[in-house]
Amino acid sequence: MTVTSPGTHPPAGSAATAPALSVRGLSVAFPSEAGPVQAVREVSFDVLPGRTLGIVGESGSGKSATAMGVMGLLPETAQVSGSVLLGGRDLVGLGDRELSAVRGKDIGMVFQDPLSALTPIFSVGRQLSDALRVHQDLTRQAAWNRAVELLDLVGIAEPHRNARAFPHEFSGGMRQRVVIALAMANSPSVIVADEPTTALDVTVQAQILDVLRTAQTETGAGLVLITHDLGVVAGYADDVAVMYAGRIVEQAGAHELFARPTMPYTIGLLGAVPRPEARASGRLVPIGGEPPSLVGLPAGCSFAERCPAAVDRCHQQEPPLTAVPGHGRVACWRSHDIADGNPAAGSLFSPPEAAVEEHRPDRRGPGETVLRVAGLARTFPLTKGAFLKRRVGTLHAVSDVGFELRAGETLGLVGESGSGKTTTLLEIMRLRPPEHGLIEIAGTDVAAPRSTERTQQLRRTVQIVMQDPMGSLDPRLPVFRLLAEPLQAVGTDRDAVRVRVEELLSLVGLDASLADRFPAALSGGQRQRVAIARALATEPRIVVLDEPVSALDVSVQADVINLLTRLQHELGLAYLIVAHDLAVMRQVSDRIAVMYLGHIVESGATEDLFTHARHPYTEALLSAIPVPDPQVERSREHIVLKGEQPSASRLPRGCVFADRCPLYPLLDGGTQQRCRTERPLLRPAASGTDHRHACHAR
Amino acid sequence: MIRHLTRKAAGWLVMIVVATNVTYVLAAWFLDPRSNYRGLRPVRTEEQIDHALAPYNLDPRTPLADRWWHWFSNVLLHFDWGKSPVGASVDSEIGFRVVVSGQLVTAATLLSVVAGVALSVFTASRQYGWWDRTTQLVSVFLFNVPAAVAALAVVFAGIWLNQHLGWRLLYVAGEKSPDVSGVWPTVADRFRHLVLPTLSLTLLGYVGYHLTQRSLLLDNINSDFVRTARATGLTRAQAIRRHALRASLIPTATSVAFSIPAIFTGAVITETVFGWNGMGQYFVQTIAKNDVHGAVAVAAFGAGMTAIGAILADVAVVVLDPRVRVR
Repeated sequence: MTVTSPGTHPPAGSAATAPALSVRGLSVAFPSEAGPVQAVREVSFDVLPGRTLGIVGESGSGKSATAMGVMGLLPETAQVSGSVLLGGRDLVGLGDRELSAVRGKDIGMVFQDPLSALTPIFSVGRQLSDALRVHQDLTRQAAWNRAVELLDLVGIAEPHRNARAFPHEFSGGMRQRVVIALAMANSPSVIVADEPTTALDVTVQAQILDVLRTAQTETGAGLVLITHDLGVVAGYADDVAVMYAGRIVEQAGAHELFARPTMPYTIGLLGAVPRPEARASGRLVPIGGEPPSLVGLPAGCSFAERCPAAVDRCHQQEPPLTAVPGHGRVACWRSHDIADGNPAAGSLFSPPEAAVEEHRPDRRGPGETVLRVAGLARTFPLTKGAFLKRRVGTLHAVSDVGFELRAGETLGLVGESGSGKTTTLLEIMRLRPPEHGLIEIAGTDVAAPRSTERTQQLRRTVQIVMQDPMGSLDPRLPVFRLLAEPLQAVGTDRDAVRVRVEELLSLVGLDASLADRFPAALSGGQRQRVAIARALATEPRIVVLDEPVSALDVSVQADVINLLTRLQHELGLAYLIVAHDLAVMRQVSDRIAVMYLGHIVESGATEDLFTHARHPYTEALLSAIPVPDPQVERSREHIVLKGEQPSASRLPRGCVFADRCPLYPLLDGGTQQRCRTERPLLRPAASGTDHRHACHAR
Repeated sequence: MIRHLTRKAAGWLVMIVVATNVTYVLAAWFLDPRSNYRGLRPVRTEEQIDHALAPYNLDPRTPLADRWWHWFSNVLLHFDWGKSPVGASVDSEIGFRVVVSGQLVTAATLLSVVAGVALSVFTASRQYGWWDRTTQLVSVFLFNVPAAVAALAVVFAGIWLNQHLGWRLLYVAGEKSPDVSGVWPTVADRFRHLVLPTLSLTLLGYVGYHLTQRSLLLDNINSDFVRTARATGLTRAQAIRRHALRASLIPTATSVAFSIPAIFTGAVITETVFGWNGMGQYFVQTIAKNDVHGAVAVAAFGAGMTAIGAILADVAVVVLDPRVRVR
């Protein structure tokens, strides 16, 4: 990561190195019933050997279709035009047989979902050696040995033994390492990575990005890194191309792009990302609106509808991608104006109404405690056998978890997958006596005997919003019925339901005309708003949110986060949020509890925690979040944890984090002994605050 | 693995013993061997008939429990499954019929599976293409053709072929010619008898494999791991064959194993049309002729084949799917 290239294409002949991959005017269209879907339009870019091009865009921007077009892996129905030059040879129009001689040999690919990317019935060693033998004349044994070397290279422990393992025996991170090994097996000159870390935990993401870097140095390949995560691009890419509605709308060196974005969409996107490194002064700035449908695009700029700087010309004519001095290449009629600071990039998108002023101060007031959890534990039996289930172990999903939640307050639970966050939520939602410990909702102990009526009241008090609104809303019910259902369940009469549904729709900022639509006819953001409205229908006091924005695009995500904040204000709700995105967490939470292997290892006020993290796990977790700013991202020190969270079926006797703790090897023998044998308890980190952590060494 | 199979086999053995004995009781209850003698001239008295049945352990005057015990101990000690009401040995009847049916079933099953799976790979790779639609149409049509019609059509086709050739290449009836000797002439003769019935069974049998395997394969064909395989440099066809097919073969392997007993005793119509003395025909005959011992033996044979099929299915799944571990 030394110098970034000038954002423009090197003119032919003057470049020191020929591009490894050169895409010119690539267009991809899929036939559909409504007409051809223009997934990719006139995309051009170069990838130099050893360098990284980041392609950023939201879902539907055409970034994956571009990758598939480069690989020649599009479905046969797709219409592809333009050229993909790899080593001087045009891949577009080649048959499957000719392409297969190129794929894997000259160009390798890393896919998004490592869980499904490997064939379940072959050992990973076999899959790797098969990949080698497709292109190289190797004996079985030689290919196997090379496969083991590759596994070692991508950081699979005990490669000799693990080469014989099957994909299902590996964790997601390990499988993605194998996929990277597959991509680099034949030393390709280009590696295309399509969202390589999206499905992974943030600490594992850092490891995988390291492995990708290894693969790149090892093969000297040019890398096309496709992602929606601006932080990943900031830390990793030399050049960045931003895609919107199938086109590249801005292309520049990473530093230029992040420092001086020019296309209004890029500016909006950067403004909508919650930044982990600093608490935003007010709400996030959403772009507003939704990306256009790719069928029958209007004549003008596809972003014009959402663009605050749009002029008449933007609606009539699509701007070409032209070089703007000092800014790279931009597809915007007003790029020169914006580059000159008129209008200034910073003032382009205005924060939503009622944003800045009233924020926060009064919120932590003496709101009454609405949820109290103490010493909560939940175990699951591990069984074996088809008919007679024998118990072979116990999974300690949650151990000794406790926290309090006050009205008007947001508590965030963070941690990697498998840390017990969701189990904790579900235990609370169950409204049954917990296996261990105490759950008190609005002053009522859920374990105490109560009338059916009281149970119904408790149900109304706690509501949940799920991660995927597509899955959590019945696709066969229109919005009105979806919102009326919880009301009918608590016995509201028909007229009142009608009134309340309208009220709810306006509360979450949806038009009343959406009431008779089905969820499939709504956009992702609208669906999540419906899910929130549904949760609010019965006027709860506690709303439990399980990854409420992780299924949404960045520009829409900001909208929903702002909505949640506004609702909390207006209704005095208490939020209990689970999210893996710590930047989002910093934005929305008042207090945060960090979970590891079913234990809370640190908790405290958000700012306190982010600025003075005490527990080594919290430190590592915070360090692993990529910051969407190349300057910061490349200069700061990363703590990359080794390995992955172990299974909760065999908890260590001492500190649950000791195995992966970066601090542990530095400790003296006595403390190490304590870490191994004595489970640390949560204790105050500093006097006068409720910042607490569980570590012997700090 | 061996331990697992032994355990499974033992379980099935118990199942077979129970099923067979229940069948014996039911058969002895409902089938009336005396009716075989009633139509005879000169007319015999009931007593004479019972007397005639007595040596075959079918005398209704003997209590059922005694008859059962006699039958059961004979099966256990001598593997003697008894006699028909007219004194023919069940063992020898089944002995040669198993061989006859075996030829038919083995060839037809193998051909059906190979043809069905090959066709499914071919058509699933061309989903909604001309070939896919056409073969699917043909398969659905064949699926709905009654076995008798299909067999007769095959017979006519065979006769037409023979007439055009001017000599009898393919036999349309029987499983062998009576007057052939020598190894190679025998093999050739059996083969010429076998072609048409096998063809007719295959035509009806491949359809199921084609249609189910096609849809199983389609579930896998667009999966991520096939795409990964293609990204490593396999052509689409190779990736489908090596990665998608094997993963989707598992349910088919199970269903093949379980279909063996059904074809063994279920090819009645085909056997009848082609004049083969197979198990299916025997099954129908024994019941029609009130042959208690014969019917029970066929049932036991079916149970045995089911057990073998189930165990084969287990083996196939373990071989095909490494995720299944046997303990």
